[in-house]
Amino acid sequence: MYQYDAIDQQLVEERVAQFRDQTRRYLNKELSEQEFLPLRLQNGLYVQRYAPMLRIAIPYGMLSSPQLRKLADISCRYDRSYGHFSTRQNLQLNWPKIEDVPDILAELAEVQMHAVQTSGNCIRNTTTDQYAGVISDEIVDPRPYCELIRQWSTFHPEFAFLPRKFKIAVNATESADRAATQVHDIGLHIKKNEAGEIGFKVIVGGGLGRTPMVGVTISEFIPRADLLTYLDAIIRVYNQQGRRDNKYKARIKILVKALGIEEFRKRVDNEWGHLKGKESTVPMSEFDRLAGFFSAPAYDDLTDQPEVLTSKLASSAGFARWFERNTFEHKIPGYRIVTLTLKKAGQAPGDATAEQMQKAADLADQFSFGELRVSHEQNLVLADVRQEQLVDLWEAAKEAGFATPTLGLLTDMICCPGGDFCALANAKSIPIAAQIQETFNDLDYLYDLGNIDLNISGCMNACGHHHVGNIGILGVDKKGEEFYQISIGGASGHDASIGKILGPSFAQEEISGVIQKLMTVYVENRSEEERFIDTYRRVGITPFKEAAYAKAN
Amino acid sequence: MPKLIKNGEIVENIYHWQQGTEEAATTNSIVPAQKWLAEKESIGSVAGIWLEAGDGVEFLQDVDLNQFQVIGINFPAFTDGRGFSYARLLKERLNYQGEIRALGNFIPDQLGYLLRVGFNSFQFNEEVDLEKALKLHKPFSIAYQGDVSDPRPLFMRR
Repeated sequence: MYQYDAIDQQLVEERVAQFRDQTRRYLNKELSEQEFLPLRLQNGLYVQRYAPMLRIAIPYGMLSSPQLRKLADISCRYDRSYGHFSTRQNLQLNWPKIEDVPDILAELAEVQMHAVQTSGNCIRNTTTDQYAGVISDEIVDPRPYCELIRQWSTFHPEFAFLPRKFKIAVNATESADRAATQVHDIGLHIKKNEAGEIGFKVIVGGGLGRTPMVGVTISEFIPRADLLTYLDAIIRVYNQQGRRDNKYKARIKILVKALGIEEFRKRVDNEWGHLKGKESTVPMSEFDRLAGFFSAPAYDDLTDQPEVLTSKLASSAGFARWFERNTFEHKIPGYRIVTLTLKKAGQAPGDATAEQMQKAADLADQFSFGELRVSHEQNLVLADVRQEQLVDLWEAAKEAGFATPTLGLLTDMICCPGGDFCALANAKSIPIAAQIQETFNDLDYLYDLGNIDLNISGCMNACGHHHVGNIGILGVDKKGEEFYQISIGGASGHDASIGKILGPSFAQEEISGVIQKLMTVYVENRSEEERFIDTYRRVGITPFKEAAYAKAN
Repeated sequence: MPKLIKNGEIVENIYHWQQGTEEAATTNSIVPAQKWLAEKESIGSVAGIWLEAGDGVEFLQDVDLNQFQVIGINFPAFTDGRGFSYARLLKERLNYQGEIRALGNFIPDQLGYLLRVGFNSFQFNEEVDLEKALKLHKPFSIAYQGDVSDPRPLFMRR
């Protein structure tokens, strides 16, 4: 993975010094609350319901084992010994003290980490496929491009005070979009043109929140050398023309929608005309330099399906289940990608205790070249596991609570911290996740239901991506009571779509009952091989709606 | 007149930022850019013009900007970042060489970024300790991106 040189290191250290001084001035009342706000947000520091929340950047989800150990250690010494992995591949600490944050940032800098631009109206952490670099149908590894974007966006002097936050995600495979790129401000799809040159299809104006939208294509192919000038052009248009009078209408999607993609494209092209070919054009030497950091680890010459694996698959249904759900095909023979799920019943989705973080770091060292990834679905991934070691890893993962064999199933939920922590939330989301986990505890039934994305957000800001869940649950406030609106039919992959609201909202205790009814409609209507989303798309919302609101008789 | 920061020093402010449209302009005035363009014959010689957030810079593309000693850019709120693009466009697109002055509600903690996009003078709205503000001039000794002082990104200099 990327390693800082002296310059990268100096920059994060200078950032720590800058923020230490800002915090000092804030605590001395030299900086007002209002002035400190965007400064602290650009270092990931929120003030939450009970305590501040610090969001630590994990650029495009890549973590080394020493970094994860440092996060575990920080969570013990400055917080309550756990952290929350978010849908943007970051880690959130829920209980730090403001006055400790400069020290936390200084410790992060020791392991080449930071909290730069993890919040605020600026360009946020770039995200990508958690399987980047290890799947066979990838066009090229997206991570060098993510790192290029990280450096370009870090302390970009022109774009630190945009109308609203700005999120970029990168995908590099035709077969899947695991980074939900179509619901980002900019989604980049790596492509090769007919001449074999690498570039990007650029999608703009996607986003969730109050007005969810799937992005639209602004360019079918931007050569990679022009990526940064093109991004500069898009964001320069947005910075000047995006709405600033209403924060709910300030995302780029509203501008794109208001102008129409033709007009927006014209303005971007006009701006780009001035920038294209200029200094920010990326030379081949830089692509080579960055690619060098993501070269393949020292794989051994192995074969698929070693005996130790096949015999265990035959003898242990539990192992076979875990293998089927929680591991994924690797591009190198004899290796497998393993997801360590953070979806154990009784634990908030995406949460990991310090002990689990330590354990995951140990497993990474033992089984996967000391590296991990954080996934958009709030799990951890060991990307390079020898198939002959899968049984050992499974045993160890079970012990640590990482082997719930439900990846991609109904209970592999995306869930925001919700009203238990977040000051913005209308309703709690973690108890809903817990309720669903308790109700759907029969693995055979879950397997029979197959792949279903269930996403929960505690408010309209949609941190839990409820709009693009096959089933989405949104916390709403109804005369001071916590209620939940359910939508169905959302999707976040290449077939991205925004879910439709089923109808009036439900009380907390009704939720899993409603989900059960939806599942029954699915099971009764599905044809062979149809996933929940396929059945929904074929039969429409009506049967689901009727079942959900049918009066008991 | 209040003091301002210019080219890294605290100096007397010799110009008058004309905000009301009724005032008569003098050779020391910084007048609203839109107004100047509409009435330049009657306004006569001024020190410079200033841009309101929302103005953009395109309407100035046929104007010889180097007739001005100063172009101001107003920040209605420090979180309104339009002025960052305007300054850069004045320098890089319209080849303006003179002073670019930040006006309004920007804050000292923005000086680093403001300098990088082309501002070189700072007229604070509120009572700001300019000595302290000066110390916030250069929070970073190097940058990944190009900027007005060096358009080459770090990858061209690494």
